Amino acid sequence: MARSRRSRRTLTLVVLVVLSLSIISLDLNGRTHSITSGVKSVANGVYSPLRQAVVDVISPIGDFFAGAVHYGALQSENQKLQSTIGSLRQREAEKGFENTQLRNVMALQNLAFLDALPTVMAETIEVRSSNFTLTITIDKGRSDGVEVNMPIVGAGGLVGQVIQAFHHTAVVQLITDGQSKVGVTFGNAYTGTVDGQGPVAPMTVDLVPPHTPLHKGEKLFTSSLDAGAFPPGIPVGRVTSFHAGAGASQESITVTPLANLNQLAYVDVVLWSPPA
Amino acid sequence: MNGRVILRVALVILLALLVQSTVVLSINLGGMHPDIVWLLPITAALLAGPETGAIVGFFSGLAFDLVLPTPFGLGALVGCLIGFSVGAAVVAVDARASWLRPVAAVIGSVAADMLFSVLGAIFGQQEMVQIDFFSLFVVVAAASLVLVLPASRLMHWALITDGNRRSLVPAHANEGGIW
Repeated sequence: MARSRRSRRTLTLVVLVVLSLSIISLDLNGRTHSITSGVKSVANGVYSPLRQAVVDVISPIGDFFAGAVHYGALQSENQKLQSTIGSLRQREAEKGFENTQLRNVMALQNLAFLDALPTVMAETIEVRSSNFTLTITIDKGRSDGVEVNMPIVGAGGLVGQVIQAFHHTAVVQLITDGQSKVGVTFGNAYTGTVDGQGPVAPMTVDLVPPHTPLHKGEKLFTSSLDAGAFPPGIPVGRVTSFHAGAGASQESITVTPLANLNQLAYVDVVLWSPPA
Repeated sequence: MNGRVILRVALVILLALLVQSTVVLSINLGGMHPDIVWLLPITAALLAGPETGAIVGFFSGLAFDLVLPTPFGLGALVGCLIGFSVGAAVVAVDARASWLRPVAAVIGSVAADMLFSVLGAIFGQQEMVQIDFFSLFVVVAAASLVLVLPASRLMHWALITDGNRRSLVPAHANEGGIW
């Protein structure tokens, strides 16, 4: 009797494990991925309004307590933000002429300039839903024209790329995520690939030959290389360190994102898809 | 199979999912937030044994997979393995021991997160091991310690119906054991 019970327990476990592995295989297989993403999309369509309803109920309570506790800090932050807005307005006015010239040059070269591309503003509704990936969820989805692989920009530069698009929401992989790769250009038309290294380590740049002319603080921009995964010209990051060891096949470069990835309450989705 | 038990377990999973994606996500300590999903198979296994733990773990993991960007099915795999392991490990222990629930919750949750990240990396998601494991384990262990009691109460409500049937499997199969 006890042996029969043990056998059935083991059988149940084996069935569940095989079922799980089959689902994972379907999800990871490029040809059958659409099945699992379709299931996720339907579930998301049902679950998102429910979740939003709960957020609408509990957020005023949380905001009330947070506001009461941090009132002084919020006032100080508000003053700082007002000052920042003022200086940004001034800088924008100064840059206006240069931007016009740059747009003309880019138009001549038939390159998509970010300002010329349509964008959709989105609110971040979930930050890092899993401890194991660096993603955010935004409140715009396929019904707003958002598709997988579209770039996301925020304050300062590139934030990431859409990896899942549902009807009313989308999941964005941040450029610091370990799976993120962004083709970049810098300096005198040098190119490389910025690799995310997760939340603990800084981003690195691959495929840059040793002793390439660089300087600390140099800005990197998306390039039209890397199969044109991003429109060219979006600021990505700033070089924080670089060196080439003896006999190294490439320069070892670390980069910090230009976009403030800790302030992603609102982002812009660039309605641009890589060429097929 | 008891339809009322299934419905109650489904409600508990939905409640856990809502709490995780609203309240728990706003708790950020060292860049990490608690993972309450693992408490469901752990408490189910403590109440009704390894088979029920594995079944609850599979479906709760699958529900969380629906809203997470990680590979679909990975949560289900880890959930059923953790539910079964906890149930099998405590089968020889006095289920009324006061230390059992907190110890099982802490060890089970930390083991589940470790398994989740390692299996994710094996399935090609290398970024899943590029995290601050120390912070993760501290946050998950502390949250499990605090939340195991309410989770256990909820699972008790879901699994125990008339006739003290504590599992998702037919009552006649439970003769002679905890489930």
